[in-house]
Amino acid sequence: MKNPQPDPEPPPPTTASPPSVPAIYELTITRFRGISALTWQPAKGVNLVLGGGDVGKSTILDAIGLLLSPTNAANLSDTDYYLRDVVAEFAIEAVVSLPLAGKVNQQVKPSWPWVWNGSAAIVPSIEGDGPSTSEAVYRVRVRGTADLELAFEIVQPDGAADHFSVGLRRSIGLVRLSGDDRSDRDLRLVQGSALDRLLSDKALRSRIASELAKTDVHERLAPEAKAALENLDKTFAKQGLPSGLDVSITGGPGVSVASLIGLRATRAGKYLPLVSWGAGTRRLASLTIAEQNQGDHPVMLIDEIERGLEPYRQRMLLAKLQSGSSQAFVTTHSPAAISAASEAALWYVDHNQRVGRLAAAKIAKHRSKDPDMFLARVAIVCEGITEVGFVTALLEATLGSSLHHHGVHVSDGGGNDTTLDLLEALADAGILFGGFADDEGRHPDRWRAVMAAHGALLFRWATGCIEENILRAVGDDQLEAFLVDPDGDETGTRLRTLADRMNMGDEKGFAALRDRAGARFRDFIVAAATGAVPDGIEDRDAKKTHKAHARCWFKNNEGGRELARKTFQLGCWSAVKGELLPFCNAVRRVVGLGDVPDVQL
Amino acid sequence: MEAPAGCGKTHQGADYARELVDGVGHGRPLILTHTHAACSVFAERTKGAGTKVEIRTIDSVIANVAAAYHVGLGIPADTASWVRQQEDGYAMLAQKVALLLTRYPMIASALACRYPVVICDEHQDSSGDQHAIVMAMLEAGARLRVFADPMQSIFRDKSVTGSKPPWDWTALQARAQVSDELDLPHRWKDGCPDLGTWSLAARRSLLNDQPIDLRTGVPSSVAVVVAENQAQKNLEYALSKSARKPMDQFVERDASLLVLTRHNQTAKSLRAFFGRRVLLWEGHTRSALEGLVDRISSARGNSAGLAEAVVSFMGDVGKGFSPSAFGDAFVQEATEGCTRIRKGKPATIQCLARYIVDDPSHYGVARCLARIDELRKSDAAFAAVEIDHASEFRDAIRLGDHENTDEGLAQITHHRTYSRPLPPRKAISTIHKAKGLECDSVIVMPCDAKTFPGNREARCLLYVALSRAKKRLMLVVSRQKPSPLFLM
Repeated sequence: MKNPQPDPEPPPPTTASPPSVPAIYELTITRFRGISALTWQPAKGVNLVLGGGDVGKSTILDAIGLLLSPTNAANLSDTDYYLRDVVAEFAIEAVVSLPLAGKVNQQVKPSWPWVWNGSAAIVPSIEGDGPSTSEAVYRVRVRGTADLELAFEIVQPDGAADHFSVGLRRSIGLVRLSGDDRSDRDLRLVQGSALDRLLSDKALRSRIASELAKTDVHERLAPEAKAALENLDKTFAKQGLPSGLDVSITGGPGVSVASLIGLRATRAGKYLPLVSWGAGTRRLASLTIAEQNQGDHPVMLIDEIERGLEPYRQRMLLAKLQSGSSQAFVTTHSPAAISAASEAALWYVDHNQRVGRLAAAKIAKHRSKDPDMFLARVAIVCEGITEVGFVTALLEATLGSSLHHHGVHVSDGGGNDTTLDLLEALADAGILFGGFADDEGRHPDRWRAVMAAHGALLFRWATGCIEENILRAVGDDQLEAFLVDPDGDETGTRLRTLADRMNMGDEKGFAALRDRAGARFRDFIVAAATGAVPDGIEDRDAKKTHKAHARCWFKNNEGGRELARKTFQLGCWSAVKGELLPFCNAVRRVVGLGDVPDVQL
Repeated sequence: MEAPAGCGKTHQGADYARELVDGVGHGRPLILTHTHAACSVFAERTKGAGTKVEIRTIDSVIANVAAAYHVGLGIPADTASWVRQQEDGYAMLAQKVALLLTRYPMIASALACRYPVVICDEHQDSSGDQHAIVMAMLEAGARLRVFADPMQSIFRDKSVTGSKPPWDWTALQARAQVSDELDLPHRWKDGCPDLGTWSLAARRSLLNDQPIDLRTGVPSSVAVVVAENQAQKNLEYALSKSARKPMDQFVERDASLLVLTRHNQTAKSLRAFFGRRVLLWEGHTRSALEGLVDRISSARGNSAGLAEAVVSFMGDVGKGFSPSAFGDAFVQEATEGCTRIRKGKPATIQCLARYIVDDPSHYGVARCLARIDELRKSDAAFAAVEIDHASEFRDAIRLGDHENTDEGLAQITHHRTYSRPLPPRKAISTIHKAKGLECDSVIVMPCDAKTFPGNREARCLLYVALSRAKKRLMLVVSRQKPSPLFLM
């Protein structure tokens, strides 16, 4: 009989290059801790998550960590539920790509892939046109139940929820460099940790357990303890309970001897656990262990990458992450880390817990000039320095305390057009920022769109600039007071800039200037305060001189504050209140305060 | 691998699967069969490999995929009952799943990763769509080992609109990395080698459109008996007292026996023919039960309709509960709501009907059937009620244990699939249900022109039937209505 033998090794599947690295395509968080609802489609490589404090960056990382948790141990508390509403449950769901040749297709009960159409996981269908792509993804989730328990589920295309096993979760892998100082699970033989995966000595636990079981605990007991034990034995015997009692190491539920085993290294000739090294070293060590696992591409979670790391080591770590193929989620408050993340996708979590992608090119300038803009809870982008001063003073009055106390950051957008560009880029990414700008008569359509997107938090004068709007509200009898520099230094200079523009030579008297200018007096003040160049002046130096006029007026932070104070002191507030109060209240709402009927400076 | 019956195909397939379990680190070999009977045989042969070998019918794999993607296939979540409600439900399902796998190679990839090696048993029975599904797994990187015998192709392609055309064995052989033919009759090695040789020769004749020559070269293990069917009714079978003697002796002689015939109706008739001493092998299909479930669903709340369903079901699974003896009175009682005063046998029948009148649902039907079962053992008036499809009858009573019939049917089917029942040592079976089985002695009857006309289907059926025998074969032929497949 002819009976050909099977070939020794089946060749690997030659499919349309299935993704070999596990990655989260979409994350949906519902009612988990401080997040009521969030949907996010992160990038495949490194994701750098920015945003102010308390907007939920760490919660996002914790959510991923929980979903891919390599253990079943759950220590849920009601604070893990949004508004502590345990009955309403929480859910963390992800659309993930998994290596098809991996664990997902080795389970006893099959799990079936969904298809990723580029923006969502859908059920493959034979209706309609065929798909343009056929990328397999799976839907996994963890629910916090009303009984404070975790339910891990893998959702099938027919809607059925099967168990998302701990084995499958471990096969995806998770390396977590958390913000907590002493949780160094990846340096210890905790089940599913990087070290556990690297050594992958499955029988070690039972070998150690049997060694430990040989330990003679009884001999080590103090005499009193021995006596107590003998006493107990007698009582047991009397009551018909098992007798012949002794103590030994028996192990117990939830406690693994192996988790007490950790890496150690020598320092100054002494063995020390790696756990006792600095935070930065421990984090780099964890990451290096994870890298040693060949063909292993765990999902990486790194909270506050700057922790314990000098800027050069932050850059090193980011470079390492960016050259690897693992999907990584990194939060940071470090400008050095942000600037090192040249290959990473930058994300910003806004005060509405919306995660938006920052287009690197469009925000590069702002990022380098004012990194804090992306690290605040809410940032107000002002078109110039005058507005920065003005808004800061106005909002301090609005909130009744310093702005950083509320995580509000007022930033200089560096001009009307660049501010518009930035706000547009943010709106495109679905992120809400605040803003404060003039109407310079340009791009009315773009401004209208960007204002619609950002809402009341973005303020723009209906017409003209800030100086114009405030000055318009100043009564004729207050005009002189308006010109006075409260510090006294610049009052004379200001009058001279007016005299220059009116060709009045050395005349510096307020009354003389006012009488000379007549109806055009206020125009001259606005022109001088904004450094406008009058028509017909072509000479470069002359232009420069005219622009410089603004410097002695309000074109600096203090000048902006002065303008704000004068608004109130000179009784202008009632005229601009209608326009500005909604903006003030919008900021109050973002930081969790209620509306106020009025503001006093 | 072209694999005539009894040449060690199952043995090879099972061995191959066991080798793989030891060799392949990930995934599990999948053995794809066409019948649950074959699943049982493979399960037996791969014992020890534990759960690492997966043995499934191709329809059940298709049904799994279809259930998972029912939304995209435009069918309801309860795929099983959808399949039952369609004519050619499985063929339609295969067509949809074949299209799905072609459109989404990733699903085939997931299958190929789960089952890196697929062993196809009896692949000649695969329709164009079933074949396409297996080929999609091949494209996705799975390795295939295909066993097929074109001469055992007895399950005709159920062709539904849009089905892929039948695939071509020669083309598949040409495409294979290795292609070969099994030609050692293993099945007969220990018992009766000459019967094996003769079976292979008979196969060659049938393959080449030649009749089997019964005049010369017939070994002693093959008995050819001439007997003329006396039955009046179509597809039934009866013989004169003297003519039946050789068969009676043959049936008594061996503990391991199959009486094989082509049609269901004839099989039932043969059960009476052998005085009900030989059990009917019900195989895995439960067409009467499915019919009962469908009728219960449509007649819910309607006592008369339910009573009619019971009568019809009783006729399908046995005899004696006939309209004249019981059925008409029973239906009438149910229609009238059991209002008249009865005595004796009519009272007993009224009691039966009352189960349905009191609870006109599957519960009432199940209670009624259970009571019939008791009565036929205890009440002389019911002694003539015979049950041929005992398992199917029991399953119908078990419907009453479930909240609704669809769930009940699904559970019962599931249980049957996984308990893998085997035929009794002596059994009457249709050739279709016997495919994949083997037995010491086999009678093929009747071998006349009606059962085995000169077409390809008949050739295949005849070959399947005669190749089931390991030691002794009896062919009951007819001279009055001779089959063109024999030369006498």
